[in-house]
Amino acid sequence: MKFTKTATAVAVLAASAIALSGCSAANPNGGSDSSSVTWNQPTANLKGVTLTYWTATQTATMAKPVIAAFEKSTGAKIDTVVIPDVYETNAPTKLASGAKPDLATWQPTASELALLKPKTGLQNLDSAPWLSKLTPAVQKLGTVDGIHYAAFVNAPSTIGVFYNKAVFKAAGITGIPKGYDELIADAKKIKATGIAPFFGAAGDSWPTQWWPQVLLAEKAKSGLWNRVNANKESFSGSDIQGAINEYKSMLDQGLFNSDNGTSTYNESGPALLKGSAAMVLQITSFTSLLLSTADKKTIDDSIGWFPISQSGNIGTVVPGGDNALVAFKTGDAAKEAAARQFLRFWMTTDYASYIKGAGQVSIEPRIPTPSTVPTVATTATAALADSVGSMQQSAVVNPDFYVYLADMTHGTKSPEEVGKLTQAQFTQLAQALGVSGF
Amino acid sequence: MAYPLVESPPQLRRTRNGLRRRTTRSRTTHPLAFLLPAFIILGVFFFLPTVFNFIYAFTNWSSFKDDIQFVGAKNFVSLLSDGSLVAAIRTTLIYAALVGIMQNLFGLGLATLLEADTRVNRFARVIFFIPVLMSALAVGYIFQALLKPTGAVNQILGLFAGHAVTIPWLGSTTWTLVVVAFVNSWKWAGLAMIIYLAGLKTIPEDVLEAARMDGAGPWKTFFRVKFPLLAPAVTFNFATALLGSLNGFDTVQATTAGGPAQTTEVLNIYIFQIFGYGLYAQATTMSLVLFLMVLILAFPIVGYLRKREHVL
Repeated sequence: MKFTKTATAVAVLAASAIALSGCSAANPNGGSDSSSVTWNQPTANLKGVTLTYWTATQTATMAKPVIAAFEKSTGAKIDTVVIPDVYETNAPTKLASGAKPDLATWQPTASELALLKPKTGLQNLDSAPWLSKLTPAVQKLGTVDGIHYAAFVNAPSTIGVFYNKAVFKAAGITGIPKGYDELIADAKKIKATGIAPFFGAAGDSWPTQWWPQVLLAEKAKSGLWNRVNANKESFSGSDIQGAINEYKSMLDQGLFNSDNGTSTYNESGPALLKGSAAMVLQITSFTSLLLSTADKKTIDDSIGWFPISQSGNIGTVVPGGDNALVAFKTGDAAKEAAARQFLRFWMTTDYASYIKGAGQVSIEPRIPTPSTVPTVATTATAALADSVGSMQQSAVVNPDFYVYLADMTHGTKSPEEVGKLTQAQFTQLAQALGVSGF
Repeated sequence: MAYPLVESPPQLRRTRNGLRRRTTRSRTTHPLAFLLPAFIILGVFFFLPTVFNFIYAFTNWSSFKDDIQFVGAKNFVSLLSDGSLVAAIRTTLIYAALVGIMQNLFGLGLATLLEADTRVNRFARVIFFIPVLMSALAVGYIFQALLKPTGAVNQILGLFAGHAVTIPWLGSTTWTLVVVAFVNSWKWAGLAMIIYLAGLKTIPEDVLEAARMDGAGPWKTFFRVKFPLLAPAVTFNFATALLGSLNGFDTVQATTAGGPAQTTEVLNIYIFQIFGYGLYAQATTMSLVLFLMVLILAFPIVGYLRKREHVL
């Protein structure tokens, strides 16, 4: 009896010792730096090479045509692995347990890229041959600490107001409102005609976050998020709290649809097309929702777009989860080069046919946007030129701002609580990331 | 006539008190080494992770860093100063209490109703047990669809009411927690029913006959005779329902995902969200808090329920 007791104890201790000695999150790879990065020709032979590509359920079919073309012309094989929702949770978890893909779709903001530990885990794409061929606004994006880690394949979204032209005309509005005050004045004119000025879709929670963000565009231009990132400015500070309060006053003045609290994103498209709401503040991908119930001609004729900010019309950029790919440092030089080759193939050889098939706006000036893309999308993308980064783009971490704003819309939190709670979460995440100042 | 004297085997011999004496197990037929494989699996997949839970709670493990360093009690300090943990604990306790009560009420009600062994009853018992076998996520998604403002439940109510009914079952910040607890109770009531049925079947017939002869009606028989004798079944059912639902996650996640406005955010959902941010150490710390909470609640509850059994 004594012998087996000791034996079991020793076995457990030995197992724990072995397990504890391997106690690190992942093995950091010493990767190559930018200077020694080679770029294969896009159609170079890759027979026998298999790459793994992770993507989310929402972007599951995005790369399919490009992958097919790449496999045909190079002989490589790309395994697409669809990671179940929530992608931004499950993918880092899989990475932490040791799995590593060669390529992945990823939201190309610094705060989201941080989850992939870019310095040690992602390939440096500063020397990408097509980088200089992108529109200047997009060239600046996808970086962490000044280094490009994300390769853009689609245009990042700009937050702007999609409006129903007929409703505007009926309310006697002839020009685009410049700034918050004119916007509210126009909204009141529309309300007087009996139509809801704005469609909020607060039932889905996330659309609520655009309002405070667009109202901070001027402040963001003067470096608001840099100050927030250095802990010199907070969500309860006069700038951000002021924007939250302005959004609250819009809700209190009844400028949103009456069922705002339960209305959904999917309802916002048909509501705008029908004219039961005059304006929807959304990101450019809202165009796909419009296209699901109307054709390009109807959208071009009835829907217009303009950016809005506190005192002008500055757009706010929100790169999305379907905008870019990242290439991982796997330690296998041949596979890393093959991953880079795939990205080069997508953005050079295959780009024209890709955007034609996907109906996307072009981010390379020399390749025109397909004629099937509605005008609102091209206008929104053109506004990238003098737009400013959103919280997602410019803040060092991503708190659940929208959750608290949605609570405020439902009446369960005050504006001050929204600022306080978001800041608390921001601080917690920044501390985990090791940002100085927190 | 003399009867042959037969020695009873050593294993069956009783001591002066009439109790059987413990005999040594034969090492050749039941070596303890037979338990080793099971212990190893238990150790690696159960005890080791629990031990690591204690260890990681004192580190700064996150998805943002490659290395893991000890930070002492920093996670616990920041957790205590954060009000959302307290809110999640309160929601979890209310949810667990509701599930404990509802699941047992449904189970007991079904058991008493279906006690007799008729064909209909046997068939009904099977039907009511089927939700237990269903995936909790599947149950959650089905109910989420049924309880939509335009879902089947409101449509049926509208049929009876004569006008459109749009009750936001999953949209109320006060009552959705009760609805979600109801869904979970609905799923597990079949199991409680089975246990109560077993308990009811062990009630000796002569006790019930005596009660009948003393003139006790059906209600009095139930509350004064059957229910006290069901104490062991109540212990098991109430303890598992309460302590099990403290760990509740799947049904709540599938129906409301913690909404609306975090009013159904049980602790496991909160932990899941924190884990989702990449804050693995903080999530582990909260798991530890949950573990301790269940432990602290388990002893008095099970102790009290077991005491009830002692009167028998």
